[in-house]
Order: sequence, then structure tokens, then C-alpha cells
Amino acid sequence: MQSRPSRHPRLSAIKRNYDLYLLMVPGLAFLLLFKYAPIYGLVIAFQDFNIFKGIGGSEWIGLQQFHRLFTSHDFLVVMRNTLLISLYKIVLLFPVPIAIAVLLNEVARMWFKRAVQTIIYLPHFLSWVVVAGLFVNILSPSTGIVNHVIQFFGGGPVPFLMDNHFFRSVVVVTAGWKEAGWNAIIFIAAIAGLDPELYEAAKLDGAGRVQQIFMITLPGIASTIVLMLILRIGGVLEAGTEQILLLYNPTVYPSGDVLGTYIYRVGLGSMEYSYSTAVGLFESAVGFALVLAGNYFSRKMTGKSIW
Amino acid sequence: MKTKPASDRALDAAVYGLLLLAASACLFPFLNVLSKSLSANWAVTSGRVGLWPVGFNLENLFYVVTDRIFLHALGISVLVTAAGTLGAVLFTAVSAYPLSKKHLPGVKFVLIMYVFTMLFNGGMIPSYLLIKQLGMMNHLSSLVLPGLINVFNMLLVKNYFESLPESLEESAKLDGASNLTIVLRIIVPISAPVFATVSLFYAVAFWSDWFHPMLYLSDPSLKPLQLYLRDIVLESDTSGQNLDLNIDQLMNISPEGIRNATVIVSTVPILLVYPFLQRYFIRGILVGSVKG
Repeated sequence: MQSRPSRHPRLSAIKRNYDLYLLMVPGLAFLLLFKYAPIYGLVIAFQDFNIFKGIGGSEWIGLQQFHRLFTSHDFLVVMRNTLLISLYKIVLLFPVPIAIAVLLNEVARMWFKRAVQTIIYLPHFLSWVVVAGLFVNILSPSTGIVNHVIQFFGGGPVPFLMDNHFFRSVVVVTAGWKEAGWNAIIFIAAIAGLDPELYEAAKLDGAGRVQQIFMITLPGIASTIVLMLILRIGGVLEAGTEQILLLYNPTVYPSGDVLGTYIYRVGLGSMEYSYSTAVGLFESAVGFALVLAGNYFSRKMTGKSIW
Repeated sequence: MKTKPASDRALDAAVYGLLLLAASACLFPFLNVLSKSLSANWAVTSGRVGLWPVGFNLENLFYVVTDRIFLHALGISVLVTAAGTLGAVLFTAVSAYPLSKKHLPGVKFVLIMYVFTMLFNGGMIPSYLLIKQLGMMNHLSSLVLPGLINVFNMLLVKNYFESLPESLEESAKLDGASNLTIVLRIIVPISAPVFATVSLFYAVAFWSDWFHPMLYLSDPSLKPLQLYLRDIVLESDTSGQNLDLNIDQLMNISPEGIRNATVIVSTVPILLVYPFLQRYFIRGILVGSVKG
């Protein structure tokens, strides 16, 4: 049946596909309730929020919470820890998945490649509680294997999770252990998408395998690398809240307390809702600005961007 | 056959060596704790246990899997994971399909609304207050409902739908099929790989979640496995544990041994399903991500 040409083509497209619009309803309801309502809830950062009065009844106090935030000593410590942990994670851990993907691409034996992939993806599927449990175990000063090895070589036991000199390293290493293999997937996919003729041509020109890695593989996935780096830098203030909450204790607050854990401690521990929401808003806003900026520069420089 | 040049052989050695190192590093902590959970107390405390159990015994594991509180927590986790995964895949698929029809008026705007929440969100405190406001504290719905759509997973499914050949739907339309018939009869059956992928992702997310139960549940009878685990494994205080043991058991069971065994037992479910699901998630992620 041919419908009459309508004077409102958009309207008729909507009418014809009303069922598709109905399908969107559950998702939109979810989006408004669990995603946009909390974004609206950010206004309490500008209030002296009282849970009994609600958002409508609480007093507006402008930027006072932010003033308190930027002048507090805690904020300096927390900011420093957040940036240090995050930068260590980026500098030390970001290249690892790329290296893994490039190495795997050089493996000719399929069974070996599959076996390695299966093993290195696995830690991603363990919860942070389990990962923390595993590392608390092997790092234990009394029964952990790491300390037994240190003692075997004549060193004294190191309480890794109680020592401000070591805590950040533990955070970085455990994050790498859990996610480095999994994060390689995207680069493996990007390498798989490269044109095999490029390699053939390079071989004819006499390029060795090491040269092929640097002339073809790495340049070929450069845009993916840039894209992933933008996303990573956008999350620079997200240093791993759940991970650190599970690993740390008051002894290592000076080196391990980050924005996310601070928000949790102050917000829910001391019930300072407005103040910790202000911290959270700061975190979200900086992250958002960084992704926008990164995306802009990526589009300028490589022509690729997230959107 | 030509012999490989020396530089290639050196490269091979480096490649295989480094990958073996990476794989061993991934396995080592797990194998160490596994063999500790299977070892005698004296061997664990004197640091003799590496990759192989010393003074083999199964009593720690046996103690854990027969512990009533552990089994209850496991049950809660299974319930939340099953309900959550089922609901999430349904919500995600239903929301992703219309978004794959780019020409429909308004679809682009809705897509932007979804993507925006990946870049900017209300954060911990407003979300906590919302759950409180909705009366979902100390209710398992607080673990399920906020996790029903993960925007990344939804984009994965949307990209998959877009990669399907258009002719498939067009021929059905010529035969007079409605949109819903097309979805149920054509799209759903050929989307098994991507559904399997996101099911795995959702199941892992619900199963592994520690943070939300920690925020939203204080009733001990609702404690899921990860909360139970955290209490046993990371609270160094195990004095609360009521170990009612006879002399023989004391040789082999200890808070340390139970901690090891609990970690091992709680990873078993994922280790069991993982090999079967692996081929799906690789394929699913390739489809979803390569287009970027």
C-alpha cells in the first residue's frame, strides 16, 4: 500500500514508525531517572543542602562550597595524589596494551597466540575485591610470597599496603595486572584491520620485520592510539575509586586518598553532601573539558575524533 | 625452505619471551593463592608455598563451600546477576534498535543524550541521594535498576545492528512485515553473537560489583558475594569468625587459609564460563569497536 505523499514528511515518518519510537521509551525513562536526575542533583553543590528540606527547600549559597574546596589543605593533598596516580597509570600503563598487541601480531603459531590471549584477558573478569584479595595475599608482610623472596635475599619484610612509599606503586601495578591485557583488544582489532598489501609492499622494498612494525603497524594504528589516549586523559581525575577504597587504610591516606575516595569519605562518612557534591562536580567538569579539548586537538592534528 | 635471517630469529625470541612473561605474570598471583588454599597452615606461614601446594589438604575449601553465610551471599549474587543481565540485555537491545535507524527524525538527538552521559555525570553523592529518595536503600533493586543500560554496551549493539545488510529488512518490508515482526523474526535471531557479548559484559559487571552494594545495602541478609568477600578477605580482623574446630581441623584450617579459599571459590564461576564465552566477546567487540 502506497501512502499519499504528505506535506509533513517528518511527521509521517514518525507515524509510520510509531512502534520504533515506543521501543525507545524504556531506555529514555532509564536515562532520565538514573542519568539525568543525578546531573540535576548537582545543583546541591550550590546549596547548603539539607536532606529533610530537599533540593527545593534548601538554602542557596552560591560558590561557598567551591571556595572552601579550593582553600582547603585536604584538597591539595587529594589533588596531588589523584594526579600522581593517574599520571603514573597513563605513562607506565598506557603503552603496555599497545606493546602486547604488536607482539601478538608477530606471533605465527596460532595456538600460542590464542593461549596468551586467553590468559591475559582473564584478570579483567575478576572483581576488584578478588584482585585486591590476591595482592593483599601475595604482598602480606608475614605470609606473602613477595616478602618471603625479599627475606630470602636478606631484606626486611615490607608492609606494602601500609607504607606511603609503596602504596601508589601497588595501585599502579594492580591496575596494570587487571586491565593491561584486556585493553590490548582494541589495538589487536585495529591491527587486524590493516591492509595486508601494505606488508607485502614493504617486504618487496626489503623492509625487515622490525622495520615493518615501525613503518606500518604502529603508524597504521596511530589514530586508534590517539583516540584511546584522549579518552584516558579525559579520565585523569578518575584514579580508581573502587580499587583504592578496597586497598587502602587510614595509614596511607597521605599517599592514596584521591578525589573519588575523598568524596566518599567526606560525603557519606561525614554526610557533607553539598561539599562533596562540589568536589564531584569539579571532577566531572574538568574531565569533560579535557575530553572536549583532546577531541578538538585530535581532529586538528590527525583528522580523527570521537565524534 | 629459506632459513630466517638472524634478526628475525632474535625478534621471535623477544616476542615469545615477552609474551610468556606477560602471561606468567597474569597467572602467578592466582596460582600462588590457589596452592596456598590447598596447603597446610605451617607451609603457608613459613612461606614454602609457591606454585604448588605443600601439605595438600582440602579442608579450607570444604569449610568455605559449606559455610551458610557464604552460600547465602552467593545466592544473592546469582539472583542479582541473573535478573540484572536479563533485564539489561532486554533494555539495551530495545533501546539500541531504533537508534540504528539514523534517518528517523529525532533519533540523532536521543543518541546525543545517551553519549553525553558517558562524558558527564552526576557522580557519587547525587546518585546516592537519588537511590535514597526512591526508597531503594536496602533493596536489591538498587543493584539492578541503575545498571540496566550501559551506554558503551548499547553503542556496541547499535553498531552491530547498523552493520547488518539493509536488504534483509527491505525484503521483509516488501512482504508487509511490521517493524516489530522484523525485529523479532529477523534481527533477534541473527544477533546472537552480539547479545552473547553484552550478556557477558553485563553479567561480569553485576557479579563483580562491590561499590554499589557497599553504598546501598546495610542489611546483612542482603549481602552479596563481593561484600562478604571484602569482609573476609580484606578486613584483617577475622576475630568475628566463629571457628568451631576440632584438633585435626586446626592443623589445616586458619583464618588465612579460609581467606585464600574464599578468593579461589569466588573466582570459580567465572573461570567455568569464561572459555565458552571467549570466542563470542572477541567477535562481538570486533564488530562493535572497529567502526569506532
